[in-house]
Amino acid sequence: MSALTEPLPTLDRDRRAERSGWRIFLRKPSTRIFIPVLVFFIVLSVVGPYFVGDPITAGYPKLLPPGGEFLLGTDQLGRDFLARLVNGGRVSLLVGFSVALLCMTIGLIVGGLAGFYGGLMDTVMVKVAEFFQVLPGIVLALVVVALFGANVFYIVAILAITMWPGVARIVRAEAMRVAQLGYVESARAAGFRGLRILASDVIPNVTPPVLVATTMTVGRAILIESGLSYLGIGDPSSPSWGALLNSAQSYMRDGWWLAVLPGACIVLVVLAVNMLGDALNDAYNPTVGRVK
Amino acid sequence: MKARFIYYGRLVLSSFILFIAVVTVLFFLLELAPGDPIQALVGDAPISDALRERLVVAYGLDRPIIERYLTYLGNVLTGNLGYSVVTNNEPVLDIILSRAGNTLAIAIPSFLISTTGGIVLGAIAARTRKRWLDSGLSGLAVTLFSIPNFWLGMLLILFFSLTLGWFPTQGKGPFGGSGVDPRYAVLPIITMATTELAYKARIMRSAMIESLGQDFIDTARSKGLTSSQTLWRHALPNALLPMVTISGYSLGFVLAGSVLVERVFGWPGMGLLFIESVDRQNNMVVMGIVIVLTITIIVVNILTDVVYGLVDPRLRARFSPKRSAEVKKEALV
Repeated sequence: MSALTEPLPTLDRDRRAERSGWRIFLRKPSTRIFIPVLVFFIVLSVVGPYFVGDPITAGYPKLLPPGGEFLLGTDQLGRDFLARLVNGGRVSLLVGFSVALLCMTIGLIVGGLAGFYGGLMDTVMVKVAEFFQVLPGIVLALVVVALFGANVFYIVAILAITMWPGVARIVRAEAMRVAQLGYVESARAAGFRGLRILASDVIPNVTPPVLVATTMTVGRAILIESGLSYLGIGDPSSPSWGALLNSAQSYMRDGWWLAVLPGACIVLVVLAVNMLGDALNDAYNPTVGRVK
Repeated sequence: MKARFIYYGRLVLSSFILFIAVVTVLFFLLELAPGDPIQALVGDAPISDALRERLVVAYGLDRPIIERYLTYLGNVLTGNLGYSVVTNNEPVLDIILSRAGNTLAIAIPSFLISTTGGIVLGAIAARTRKRWLDSGLSGLAVTLFSIPNFWLGMLLILFFSLTLGWFPTQGKGPFGGSGVDPRYAVLPIITMATTELAYKARIMRSAMIESLGQDFIDTARSKGLTSSQTLWRHALPNALLPMVTISGYSLGFVLAGSVLVERVFGWPGMGLLFIESVDRQNNMVVMGIVIVLTITIIVVNILTDVVYGLVDPRLRARFSPKRSAEVKKEALV
């Protein structure tokens, strides 16, 4: 009786391993530094815009250096730069996280099905990856914007379309492995279908590596978006950090803060995301450490 | 030998299909673009009725879409990328080729710097027993990797050009002069090389660690080789294999990144031409550049595959298309 009600020993060990993975992750020094950094920027871009001034009103003195009446000075048109920076962060982070979430969703579904069934899905995945390798996302985004006009939604969509194979690859490999396992075979024999098995057996196994890949995608999407906006083809109605850098270049001699601060914000967020991704990876793959 | 020929034959064929796919996507994007197609063709310039009439006939806009698509494809395949109406009907291919040299003038040095630097730093980080050196180098790599490289360029201008006055800020040489002035090229090359170097160092470090953990390293040591012989003769060549693939396949992203670097430094290469054409909606040139870029990347990919087949001892001894394809799949997705 008691033997039946106790949880299975292997399951128990897995759970403990998972918990300790999290604990290792949370205990790393880089985690302790960069989680607060990331949380700071997320909070700033969610609630910040309600607390800072108006980013659009011009008419204050132009190119006022940081520290005086305006904490971060004013820009070349005399607009409150702190307000512009905070609002710009909202756009940059929104693009980064939306792209990553889209990539994760597409990657889980397509990668899972490709790994499970192989065949056509698998071929399609590889072909799509090949296609975007010869036509890099930033180039495609430039073409689309040139033809259709600048718009945040286009940019998010294009980045997601070009970047999803990264996540899909991981899910695919795991799905291929899991499909061979005995209990999945018995689940199949019991009549469960692909998507159901995907949800119950594949997705829990791939959560850590997919989280790592998704985290890294946030950083890459922010970088690419900032590049596009720097080139002046971002959405003009909602300037991101990259767009601030675009207008800053002509004023570098008299307004260094216009060029330095938005870039520093991008670096901090992307660095935080990459460091957390690395730490998460290390925590879940202790073998990928130093050898000999 | 036969297996090798069949494999490369297939590779060339599938690359060709890939190229057709890219051209097709471009053509239909151009078709779907809102607005007047003639205006889009000419770009941001006024059109007279006579010109419009002539263009409609010249581009066959009165004919069905499938026919136009096939004509476009045929033109592209015979090296005709169209004409830039805004700039005196110059052939698009000529405009692009006149700028390509400038891009190569910064892309090739930065490729060499990033590859050698990445290999050296990655190998040091993997090999050193000093923990601080490894974590320092790895931390540096992640940081460089997280910097938007156009912003790095702006910082370099701010510091080395505006503050110290060592290097010029814009252009490829003094006004009116032809050719490339090395002093103008220093900062763009550094900017372009840095991100790539960080990326390659990361790859090299993990490849080297993996290589050092293999059984053949133990075998080499037990044969009595010294640790430096093991490192240079056994671990390093194996760790270099992924570098070949990565260097080749990352070329596309390097060339795409040149758009940003050239914009920062006003460097008149293909990237700057691309942006200028996007700004002026000179779509024929935009399409032409993407096509030239695609061809370059595809050719380099094929070369990468060939080189890989020559340097990987396993493929050299007994060529296996399956293994070759696996390597490619890993590097790609």
